[in-house]
Amino acid sequence: MRVWKRLLWALLGIAALAMVSYELSQAGVRPVKLVETGLLAMTPLALAAVGECINEKAGVINIGIEGIFLITAVVGVYWAEVFNSGLIGILMGGVFGGLIGAVLGVLSTYGKADQIIAGMGLNVMSLGLVQYLLMAIWAFPGIHIFPRELVVPRLSLPFTELRISPFTLIAVAAAVLATLMLGRTLLGLRIRAAGDKPEAVDVAGINVNHVRILASALGGFLAGVGGAFMPLGWFGGLVKEISAGRGFIALAAVVFAGLNPLLALIASFIFGYAEGVAFTIVVTPGVKEVIPFHFIQMIPYLLTIIILAIFVTFRRFPNALGKPYIRE
Amino acid sequence: MSGEVLVEARGVVKSFPGVWEHLILDHINFDVRAGEVHALLGENGAGKTVLANILSGFYTLTSGQIYVRGKPVHFKSPFDAIKNGIGMVHQEFTLVPSLTVVENIALMLRKHNPLSYPLKEVRERTLELSERYGLKIEPDRLVEHLSLGEKQRVEILKVLYWEPDVLILDEPTSVLTIDEARELFKILRRMAEEGKGVVFITHRIEEIMAVADRVTVLRLGRKMGTFKVSEVGKDELLRLMIGEMEPVRYERGRSVEWGRVVLEVRDLHVLSDDGREAVKGVSFEIHEGEILGIAGVSGNGQRELAEAITGLRKASRGRIRLMGLDITNKPAGEIAKLGVRHIPEERRRMGVVEPMCLAENMIIREYKEKTFSTAGVIKSKVITEHSKRLVERFKILTPDIWDTEVRILSGGNIQRLILARELWKGPKLLVAFHPTYGLDLKAVTHTHQHFMELRQKGAAILLISEDLEEIFLLSDRIAVMLDGRIVGTLGAREATPEKIGHMMAGVGAS
Repeated sequence: MRVWKRLLWALLGIAALAMVSYELSQAGVRPVKLVETGLLAMTPLALAAVGECINEKAGVINIGIEGIFLITAVVGVYWAEVFNSGLIGILMGGVFGGLIGAVLGVLSTYGKADQIIAGMGLNVMSLGLVQYLLMAIWAFPGIHIFPRELVVPRLSLPFTELRISPFTLIAVAAAVLATLMLGRTLLGLRIRAAGDKPEAVDVAGINVNHVRILASALGGFLAGVGGAFMPLGWFGGLVKEISAGRGFIALAAVVFAGLNPLLALIASFIFGYAEGVAFTIVVTPGVKEVIPFHFIQMIPYLLTIIILAIFVTFRRFPNALGKPYIRE
Repeated sequence: MSGEVLVEARGVVKSFPGVWEHLILDHINFDVRAGEVHALLGENGAGKTVLANILSGFYTLTSGQIYVRGKPVHFKSPFDAIKNGIGMVHQEFTLVPSLTVVENIALMLRKHNPLSYPLKEVRERTLELSERYGLKIEPDRLVEHLSLGEKQRVEILKVLYWEPDVLILDEPTSVLTIDEARELFKILRRMAEEGKGVVFITHRIEEIMAVADRVTVLRLGRKMGTFKVSEVGKDELLRLMIGEMEPVRYERGRSVEWGRVVLEVRDLHVLSDDGREAVKGVSFEIHEGEILGIAGVSGNGQRELAEAITGLRKASRGRIRLMGLDITNKPAGEIAKLGVRHIPEERRRMGVVEPMCLAENMIIREYKEKTFSTAGVIKSKVITEHSKRLVERFKILTPDIWDTEVRILSGGNIQRLILARELWKGPKLLVAFHPTYGLDLKAVTHTHQHFMELRQKGAAILLISEDLEEIFLLSDRIAVMLDGRIVGTLGAREATPEKIGHMMAGVGAS
């Protein structure tokens, strides 16, 4: 399906959200607040989704984003406390995410592993690992509150009332840079070729596995930044199920985008904004009494399922997606 | 002819352990000299492609040694070979379908900064090379929209980009028209004159006579000898290639009475993948017991026509009737059930499911029928018997039928598998696209025999081929397709290669 068709769907989604926002503003909610929450919720989704676009272009599916989110959230907070800096914490989250991505890359190339199973393993393992780490590091089960100063401060956007996180800007920049990298560099050509026809990369004397591991590490890095951003740039605290399925929502955004990083950004905004709306509805007097809390909480996930159902058939997968490259 | 030895293989052995009974290559000696075209002749499974893949670093050898300009080398990857000046044009192309022609060639820039994008240079150099060797291309089209012939030209350009000393071409003429092949031979001669060594793989002896200086004959992994082309006769080469057995002849027999109209196509319009109108109002009919040959350079709408008839592609306008029944835009499965069979253009991509085994591929059309399954559970015994019978009858070379992925079979054997699956039931209509592309002489004869048998039984066959010889040999009527239209139809008696050739080229069409 062509880009503009996806874009049309995205505009439809934005229009629907705008209508809801208008209704909420009638109920006394400040639109700025809605956008701010939406952008915060968009950030981890967009970072991970852009990263996933890159590694899927190269032929590596990483369905373990949820796992990377969970692990890097904990790792990020740990290093933030060690260095007393939220920024370093988020960066370390990225580094760890990159490492996990690289390992997944090695498994799915040299290891010839089934990428779906590897990703599932990562997701399942992270559930236990996070609880263990919380106990091992802070000796308290399931939750950890860190000093307020560690949360990366938000910036005021000039000419507006908006206050946004620098990492939101980084997510937008990542989408733009990823688009340029994939479309306007030799590296991008190699990545796209590695996913679509690895033999072509091989005859050029370029190691297919290296390209794929690099792409997988890049994807993991971005997901890791997103994971550490959740406690250190957004919530200001750490709980064991902090990502709450956002890793899967990011995957849905990738499917919607058809591996186009800019569309992935837009999709992430729609999902993020929907989440922000849900948050807001829950606390808005006059609305929260009418619609049950759990129903509203369900909205982002429902949206995910609907989008997946519509777009999964429209998607043009790279030919060699998920398949290890074996020359002979 | 007595130029420097550029590449030499000594005592090369290749075995795929536990898969084949004989060695794929059994102590082969082979060399290529500067300024010569050295042909590799052999049937499917003779080991030509494997030897070429070893010389070009795609496969590692089991034992033996390769020398480049007298120095021993060990190729671990295709690029090792390229660094040593050996480039190969593969039969199955190594092009990325989702990239454009220029992007595919830019992929070869290994040493450039990976964050740079010197597409302008690549385009200029590509156009220069394309001019120099007469390889016409459109640099900005997506490769997935190109025809086989066009893809091959891109593939050759890709290899030429490195200015290799030795160029290996694996069955390059099988996708070309006669004129294109002649053009290619000129190019090969030009390369040889420039002092390059050219290895030219083929199973067509005429082509060797036309272009090669020396020829090495392989049979079932063994070398039968190397000869100067000027000192060896066609008959001797044929005998060395296929053994003592006489090539099978079959009865042409034009006595079949045409019956009812089986396929009727009226004013058919079909779009190509990139949304252009590829078939622009085509009408024809085929009767029982008739073979209609469609000649034409690939990329003139043949693929879209075949896919519209078999239900793989929507027709945008027009009607297709099978035995009077309207099948326009019916699902492919439904059309197949009515007795339409299809030998598709790209056998690996469309003809088989590569990661599945032979037996599974064999029943992929009929697995739901009671013969092969009960309540969704397949009857493996019946299927084994069925597959064995077809393997025997169609002479498919395969290690076994359940345990090997079809992926590892050679192109010729995959084609035999497809033929077996599509023909065994005796279809009403067979749409055959390049049915003998890449097959050796014996297999071609074999296939043609099956076609004649089908015709005798009253089936209709739509034969789409760029191989004019094949078209002339089999067809009762010959239609020529050019730019999405049928520019003329001739009866087999009135058609001559000149007339058809002119029509294909778009001059003096009647």
